[in-house]
Amino acid sequence: MFDYRTFALRKLVSIAPRYLPFADVATDDVPLSRLLRLSLFQVTVGMAIVLLVGTLNRVMIVELAVPATLVAVMLALPVVFAPLRMLVGFKSDTHVSALGLRRVPYIWKGTLYQFGGFAIMPFALLVLSGYGEAVDAPRWMGLSSAALAFLLVGAGVHMVQTVGLALATDLVKEADQPKVVGLMYVMLLFGMVISALVFGALLTNYTPGRLIQVIQGAAVITVSLNLFAMWKQEARDRTRAQQMQVRPRPAFREAYVKLLDQPGKMRLLVVIALGTFGFGAADVLLEPYGGQALGFSVAETTRLTALLAGGTLIGFGIASRVLGQGGTPNRLAMMGATIGIPGFAAIILSAFGGGAPMFLLGTVLTGLGAGLFGHATLTATMRSAGPDQIGLALGTWGAVQATAAGIGVALAGIVRDLIVAAPGAGNLPAHVPYNAVFLIEILFLALACAILVPLVRNSRRAKALQTETQLQPASGLHTKTAEAS
Amino acid sequence: MSDDPDKVWPTGLTLHEAEEVHSYLIDGTRVFGAIALIAHMLVAASTPWLG
Repeated sequence: MFDYRTFALRKLVSIAPRYLPFADVATDDVPLSRLLRLSLFQVTVGMAIVLLVGTLNRVMIVELAVPATLVAVMLALPVVFAPLRMLVGFKSDTHVSALGLRRVPYIWKGTLYQFGGFAIMPFALLVLSGYGEAVDAPRWMGLSSAALAFLLVGAGVHMVQTVGLALATDLVKEADQPKVVGLMYVMLLFGMVISALVFGALLTNYTPGRLIQVIQGAAVITVSLNLFAMWKQEARDRTRAQQMQVRPRPAFREAYVKLLDQPGKMRLLVVIALGTFGFGAADVLLEPYGGQALGFSVAETTRLTALLAGGTLIGFGIASRVLGQGGTPNRLAMMGATIGIPGFAAIILSAFGGGAPMFLLGTVLTGLGAGLFGHATLTATMRSAGPDQIGLALGTWGAVQATAAGIGVALAGIVRDLIVAAPGAGNLPAHVPYNAVFLIEILFLALACAILVPLVRNSRRAKALQTETQLQPASGLHTKTAEAS
Repeated sequence: MSDDPDKVWPTGLTLHEAEEVHSYLIDGTRVFGAIALIAHMLVAASTPWLG
């Protein structure tokens, strides 16, 4: 008689390990194609950001007629989770797994949450707006489900990005980190631009059915891209699994104190907060400023965003090159912030007779500065972390960066609305509220520069030291510059 | 099949490894199940299909 059991088991055994989602060996050399594949998680992150901040922002207010304040509160919910990035990063550093995995379980969990949030989001929004029979549904149902959807997506994005960046840092050598940072940023930008175009085209003729299709389509794409990105990236490792079992597990507090004890770490975090805040507010104000103060048409203001993104791309390119050839991240971050100041100044001056050319120049400069600054500070974060603290370091970077960006965008809107609503504001020219925000941004960037100065001096001294003592083994020097930067 | 008594035949994983792989499956099922439940409730609220 035919033995089905043996037959089935033999077939099972013969499934080659190449169909399994983890690599069997950790290779020293990671080819570019693999890094490109890993960076796809940033595309899904960019897609989620655009969907929340751009597309749904508009759809909820215009098509679904949800009150603007409620929309603002819902969209701000994911920022609440930003500080939890530190915890996620820390947990992935100290994760105990029988398979020896550290990062992939968390990317997978984050993907699940991201997917889940998108899966229920369209229905939650329809119930919230009282579509169909939902008019009779209790109010709390729409509110709580929409809040849950946004929280899930936010939590998922934070987890995926933090742990994904940590995995990328694990994979490459320190010399290649600037390239990886550049790649990650470019993919984020790429994901945002492509998905903004696609969502815009798909939702031109809005129907509730189309909304469901678009958001759930985003959910499916998120899962597929993230699965493809993490496939075989982390090695299954029995020795590491055994080390994980016996290794002492530090408390979160200890690890956190150890991280902040590094020279210049706290300073760097403050700089990241100030700089991100300074650059971040520009994203949302450039388009309305061009429209209201300079009389640009809608199509022209959209091109502005492309110009800003172009400047940022150039910034990433320059930063990757300079840092790859041994430049210090702190100096480059300072350069980025310094370039932003004349950028914003040019934007302000465009309302005082500078006109469109001045404005466009300012936009490009701002983008360039933001690119340099973002790249340099993330590279500095990666370099400053020991191998057992990469997740925590990147989590801290993400927490500071996401919170600062969120507050920056919110505050930009609030300051503008306050000035518009102020008594006697009716006589003010249209550019005043915007320029007030731009002035605040210049102030923050200048502050970031001032705080960076001692750091730059320190790294210069470290570099001088390095050239003096070139007889020392190279590995020792590496750690020295890493600590200083 | 295998020299290591701790290994589970036929996958070659140890017991702990097999349990961990299984835990991902269970977690995923739970999360997907909960999401499907919520989504169905929301759809039922806006376009009731049960009378």
